[in-house]
Amino acid sequence: MGRFILRRVLLAIVTLFLLSLIVFVSAQVLPGDVARNILGPFADQRSVDQLNERLGTDRSIIVQYWDWITGVLTGDMGVSLAFRRPVEDVIGPALVNSAKLALLAFLIVVPLAVIGGVYAALREGSFRDRLISIGGLSATAIPDFVWAVLMILIFALTLGIFPSTATAPPGSNFFEEVWYLILPALCLVFVLFGYIARMARAGTVEALDADYTRTAVIKGLPQRTVVRRHVLRNSLLPTIAVVATQLGYLFGGLVVIELIFNYNGLGQTLVEAAQQKDFPLLQSGILIIGIVYLVATLVADIMYSVLNPRVRLGSEA
Amino acid sequence: MHPKQDQVDAVRARRSELENHLIDEYRAGKIGRREFVRRGALVGMSLPLVTFLATACGVSTEDLEETDKPQTAEPKQGGTIRVGEQEPAGALDPVTVNNLGGLVVLAQTGEFLVTSDPRLRLVPRLAESWKPNADGSVWTFKLRRGVKFHDGKVMDAEDVATTFDRLADPDGGSNALSVFTGVLSKGGTKAVDANTVEFQLDAPNGNFPYLISSDNYNAIILPKTYDGDWEKTFIGTGPWKLDRFRPAEGVDFVPFKEYWDPRGRAITNKNELKFYADEQGLVLGFQGNEFDACVQYSVSGGKALLTDDTVITHELRAASHRQIHMRTDKEPFRDKRVRQAMALLVDRQALVDGLLDTKADYGNDSPFAPVYRSTAELEQRQRDVAKAKELLRAAGKEDGFSVELNTWQGFEMPDLAQLLQQMVREAGIRINLDITDSATYYGEATFGNSRWLDSTMGITEYGHRGVPNVLLGAPLLSDGTWNSAHFKNKRYDQLVADYVAAVDLDAQRRIAKEIQLLLLDEVPIMFTYFYYFLSGSKDYVSGVVTNPMGQMDVSRAGFV
Amino acid sequence: MSTSASGTDVAAPTPPAEAAPVEADERAARRERLRLLTRSGTFIGGVVILAIFVICAIFGETLAPDDPFATNPLDDLAAPSGEHLFGTDRVGRDVLSRVIVGAQDILIVAPAATLLGTVLGTVLGLLTGYFRGPVDDILSRFIDAFLALPTVIIALLVITALGPSNLTVIIVVGLIFSPIIARTVRAAVLQEREMEYVAAAQLRNERTPYILFAEILPNVMGPVTVEFTVRLGYAIFTVATLSFLGFGIQPPAPDWGLQVFEHYGLISGGYWWPVVFPALAIAILVIGVNMIADGIAKAFER
Repeated sequence: MGRFILRRVLLAIVTLFLLSLIVFVSAQVLPGDVARNILGPFADQRSVDQLNERLGTDRSIIVQYWDWITGVLTGDMGVSLAFRRPVEDVIGPALVNSAKLALLAFLIVVPLAVIGGVYAALREGSFRDRLISIGGLSATAIPDFVWAVLMILIFALTLGIFPSTATAPPGSNFFEEVWYLILPALCLVFVLFGYIARMARAGTVEALDADYTRTAVIKGLPQRTVVRRHVLRNSLLPTIAVVATQLGYLFGGLVVIELIFNYNGLGQTLVEAAQQKDFPLLQSGILIIGIVYLVATLVADIMYSVLNPRVRLGSEA
Repeated sequence: MHPKQDQVDAVRARRSELENHLIDEYRAGKIGRREFVRRGALVGMSLPLVTFLATACGVSTEDLEETDKPQTAEPKQGGTIRVGEQEPAGALDPVTVNNLGGLVVLAQTGEFLVTSDPRLRLVPRLAESWKPNADGSVWTFKLRRGVKFHDGKVMDAEDVATTFDRLADPDGGSNALSVFTGVLSKGGTKAVDANTVEFQLDAPNGNFPYLISSDNYNAIILPKTYDGDWEKTFIGTGPWKLDRFRPAEGVDFVPFKEYWDPRGRAITNKNELKFYADEQGLVLGFQGNEFDACVQYSVSGGKALLTDDTVITHELRAASHRQIHMRTDKEPFRDKRVRQAMALLVDRQALVDGLLDTKADYGNDSPFAPVYRSTAELEQRQRDVAKAKELLRAAGKEDGFSVELNTWQGFEMPDLAQLLQQMVREAGIRINLDITDSATYYGEATFGNSRWLDSTMGITEYGHRGVPNVLLGAPLLSDGTWNSAHFKNKRYDQLVADYVAAVDLDAQRRIAKEIQLLLLDEVPIMFTYFYYFLSGSKDYVSGVVTNPMGQMDVSRAGFV
Repeated sequence: MSTSASGTDVAAPTPPAEAAPVEADERAARRERLRLLTRSGTFIGGVVILAIFVICAIFGETLAPDDPFATNPLDDLAAPSGEHLFGTDRVGRDVLSRVIVGAQDILIVAPAATLLGTVLGTVLGLLTGYFRGPVDDILSRFIDAFLALPTVIIALLVITALGPSNLTVIIVVGLIFSPIIARTVRAAVLQEREMEYVAAAQLRNERTPYILFAEILPNVMGPVTVEFTVRLGYAIFTVATLSFLGFGIQPPAPDWGLQVFEHYGLISGGYWWPVVFPALAIAILVIGVNMIADGIAKAFER
């Protein structure tokens, strides 16, 4: 186990390094230059040149990259070019916001989807099974921006129950903040439910078919106990995998939701950084998302091997 | 009224769409009598006719600047007023701010020597009076006494001089350089005594006071000891001072107890300015009562607000517009007859009434917006397909042609592009659209490196300015840095130099007329409309004041 | 054999390994699958939905009541009525006509993008699954890096660099999908390479490309086909999202995602029709394609 983790961590580091290179190279092909993007098209050229010099964006790209990566390794993420503030100050709040929304969405969707998937599997082929499967599928099929717009139209504007923004006013307490996050979290629930439920269902179906389950049934254990002790473990396996891969999406890919709900999250921050060629901000942000994603998949793999007796028994199966 | 009514109807039946539209506005009380007469002449109605209609359909109110419910109730003291706006782009630094979000923040705690009011009239604020020398090359301003900064220090002429030197410094990276280049240099502002400032200009300039007014939104007066990092203190002399700055979320202000103007002191106890990432969020927030006044929304984005009874929309006539440029040095627009044809194919009424829901003035293909005092009155160009085809035939293009139009995904410009595309189809002209993001459109903003400046045809957004000086300059002068039409006309250059130097209004109007006629003939750029600045406040607040630049003043605002 | 949980992706679970069937068995298997498909209600339903949209795409111009490009700003944002069944959009164009004709672009771009992604992903999967060792390690790291990048950022970078157009969208979406498909194919290849027929081919000294494409590939076509159909639904969704963010298909094209992008800010004013109808079109098409994918996946599971 220890060696496994070590190997994965080393591989992750290599991946992160590659990631930063990819982003760096591609960011270079973006049009316009940094100072011009900041000062706007109507500023005079002299100001633009001076700002480029001040920001260090007139140096060769290799120098800029080296500067950034040596900074990161010593814990300094640099200064955002567009906001003229340390990157941590800009990313910090955005990261926290994204984490809050992701957590709330997960807390709702994972139990719901697992229960739904297991339930559907236990009644495999029945009408309720088709309903959950196809219903979940359809919900996922609808793009997140469509859900967001519909949610706002129905619950915020027409019924007036929830606010139309996800950003609670300053000084709100914990419950108020959660209240503001419910609509965007619901959108995410609709988008994610289908997959997680599907994976839970597939895992359960497979587990129900397995030898050890049949053995337990023959031994006379009631269905409830069988499900709880043997089947559930295996339902959860694919679910963990899905949850882990979705974590990256939840942190950096929620651009649309953040846009429509006016929420200062990591996704929007990075898109703006890319558009403004704000290299330190963009790179650091993507690095963070990369770390979240790789850590999540590593934890998922560990849990997978812990929960799955077959894997532990080796690959003779 | 009956006999007259029949006469009016008979007259109206013979008038054009444009003219009837104008009559409707007058009868609805949306424009005053003076305005009606002025614009009637503009659209080609004879004076006797216009006078007859003015009396027959008359509403005898004065010119209305705001065609909405007036805020007449007296506001109560106290409470927290919340204002919503789009998030400022970039850092909040008075020297470099170049966007609406940022300038609104500057105007909360900062103040100007002179303010440009909603009707583009100059109002003395930190300056009490001013006058030019004989040829308008030196302007002397007398400052108000007893004005304090938020840190307690008293404002004097040296503070003013340092402020303007900072803005005019060619190495300072200031956004105001686009206004000051060729007008005021570093070192040109002199503190004559503690309360008198003298501006020694590079060349005579008749509109100079506007150029240091609130129109030049970077020109808030700062202490001579200021050396950067405005975000820490938001220092200024205004009725609000900084309470708390929450980056990317908003700023909270509290009243400045020692504000110099007793009639200008804040009525409420707190001013919360909130930032929204985009217009959609802003409008939704306003509808959801997350704030009490909204700095700005567009016609399309704010449609919900325009029909909302609880929202008072302030419509401010402004000079903001879109420039549709045509390269005068390239096919197919080399021949000015082709450019004139394009201008005649544009259905301006559809744009003003349809695209902008009547919230705009007609543009007559020059930077002289109807809202400017120096604008001369000429006949308004209208759609004339037959004439356009004739011109195209004369220029050898009767089979039409293809042309690429570049613009970017902002405001209503994609809509304008698509409408234009359809409007010119009748004449066999095929426009291919290439709509990108703003960074791609502007590129490096220098000739050879920018679609904006290199494209054969494009649409560019221009914001409001109190006087047309800047608009006459960089986009159209032979050596102009924003000259996307590559327009090089010596007579034009000379006329503009004369206009800039002219100190009295009559001289300005005379020269303006020449310029307008020249541009109507050459049409390097189509100015199809000047749209209103729309601002909103809820019906439970009163006293909110905005100007066409967007600087919203809520110091005299409160709840009713 | 790697049983890494992160190797599983969010689509259908990888089908169990099969021993390479003999010719006759193969034909029988195929017939059986076809039989299952034609009897599956979900599959038929999906085909019907897709067929409707394909008809719209091909005969759009004739079916549409108005010219989808004809603007009429004085009649903008008119509510649905007898004259305009789906109302008019922000510059006065007929929404129904634009929804019908809008099927064209998406039915070209989405399948093309999925095809590109599938081809790229399959090649990558074959390479990483067969070679293991350094080739696998390096390529897999690249794939991991790609998967960690937020989709929107990739799209933004590529589209801004190449300029927005249908071709660029196809390239971007294809690129985004290839790593995920590569993962699945890799897992399948890992199982196949242990089979006897592969060892036999190696003993015969066949060249590697031959082994990969002539021997292994046909036997992983099952998962590849499933991936293709599942990703197709995704592609429609992703292309619509790109248009929604302003990166995709350009005006004045009647693309559904673009229509939602242009009008979603108007919903709060009560102008729901320019948004809801294109959005429903997207949703229904994706559901239809997913129903087909579901049917195919079930057929291949046997």
